[in-house]
Amino acid sequence: MKHIKTISTRDLKESMKKGGCGECQTSCQSACKTSCTVGNQTCEKVK
Amino acid sequence: MVHQYKNNGYNIVLDVNSGSIHVVDECVYDIVPVLEPILKAGLTGETAIEAACMACEKLPYSSSDMREAIEELMELHEAGKLYSPDIYEDYVIDFKKRETVVKALCLHIAHDCNLACKYCFASEGEYHGDRALMSLEVGKKALDFLVANSGNRVNLEVDFFGGEPTLNFDVVKGIVEYGRSLEAPNNKKFRFTLTTNGVLLNDDILEFANKEMSNIVLSIDGRKEINDKMRPMRGGQGTYDVIVPKFMKVAESRDQMNYYVRGTFTRNNLDFSEDVKHLADLGFKQISVEPVVAEPTDDYALQEEDLPVLFEEYDKLALDLLDRAKRGEPVNFFHFMIDLTGGPCVAKRLSGCGSGTEYLAVTPWGDLYPCHQFVGNEDFLMGNVYDGVSRSDIRDEFKGCNVYAKEKCRKCFARFYCSGGCAANSYNFHGNINDAYDLGCELMKKRVECAIMMKVALDEQNEQ
Repeated sequence: MKHIKTISTRDLKESMKKGGCGECQTSCQSACKTSCTVGNQTCEKVK
Repeated sequence: MVHQYKNNGYNIVLDVNSGSIHVVDECVYDIVPVLEPILKAGLTGETAIEAACMACEKLPYSSSDMREAIEELMELHEAGKLYSPDIYEDYVIDFKKRETVVKALCLHIAHDCNLACKYCFASEGEYHGDRALMSLEVGKKALDFLVANSGNRVNLEVDFFGGEPTLNFDVVKGIVEYGRSLEAPNNKKFRFTLTTNGVLLNDDILEFANKEMSNIVLSIDGRKEINDKMRPMRGGQGTYDVIVPKFMKVAESRDQMNYYVRGTFTRNNLDFSEDVKHLADLGFKQISVEPVVAEPTDDYALQEEDLPVLFEEYDKLALDLLDRAKRGEPVNFFHFMIDLTGGPCVAKRLSGCGSGTEYLAVTPWGDLYPCHQFVGNEDFLMGNVYDGVSRSDIRDEFKGCNVYAKEKCRKCFARFYCSGGCAANSYNFHGNINDAYDLGCELMKKRVECAIMMKVALDEQNEQ
């Protein structure tokens, strides 16, 4: 495309198909304890 | 839902519901909001292009450029990467209705602390109660409770928290040993984390932690004068000179991985980017510095009027971190970490932090609370490690907590990155867990914008 560059991302809709296993960390635990952040967490199936 | 913004010279378009990110030129940037209602009205193909061209005729671009831009946008739309609908609500509500298991515990090893941090939500470790140390017996019972309530979940997380857990470190060691003995027979794997202020860290603790702890969180606020103002010893002396050499040793001994130096910024250091830079200059590679949560009446509490300064600080920090990455000296700032190609599934992203259901806090005497932030508030006492969860009503309330239960989150572009925010913050500011701490939301949104911009910039740098 000439006007648009698309950055590679995980398709959230696709993640519905195999997601929801619940093996990942709880959100608050990974470092901070006062903010719920999930965008930086790792999927146990993907890693 | 589309969120578009400009940062560091980039025009960024985030298609919220698909997670797609596009970097666009000025012409496309201006057309994005114009085209959306046209496509939503059901127009397609040449009819949609014609309508969009007409709607854009006052924009300062050539008609051929605009037509090209519209065609490109429509191509993205057809590929499901722009103007995507939100199709997740029923899915997430069903996900939340599932039978949950407990997969993480925060063990309050010591309701006692050797520091007197001025912003401590645990009121200097005591959580508004009496000083207490967890016994090994309670710790073992907590792990038994976790294993028994974890269903088929293999990976179990246990945090050693306080107060200050190194005040009771023999019990930490005993709990770890007991946990390891439970792993093979139960097909479980424990991941332990230690959170410490560092004052009592010694070679013995470090050796043990490096063998057994998946993560260590080291509390420090940044520059000496900032740290020592808010994190003094009980006698008032500063802690910076005591902890910095120890923390540097921890970081090096763990090969600069699987740890965080973790600080809090307050109204006393609105220029907190300087504190992050200071920690980076000391050589730390894993840094988390985050906004204080305080009563609005506290003199160090962040105020809404501070937001423009704080936004600028995040921008400055993003540029500094990009510069470090360019120099081949990357530093990982926890709140700018964003995994665009991997990252959690949408169920995880929308279903909240897990407090009260998958994650519980355990007091020194074995009581269960939805998370460490609720400890001491008897209204949230859920049960104990001996008898399990007796207040299933509290668990169910937390179970229902997700972004679709929160009006503010439904409309927020950052909902897939923050998961609805902290239930305790919501409760503290609004009296219920289904609201959101507004100032925190604004900062979260800014961080997501910076994090995405950094990915875009690094992507461009890699291409070059």
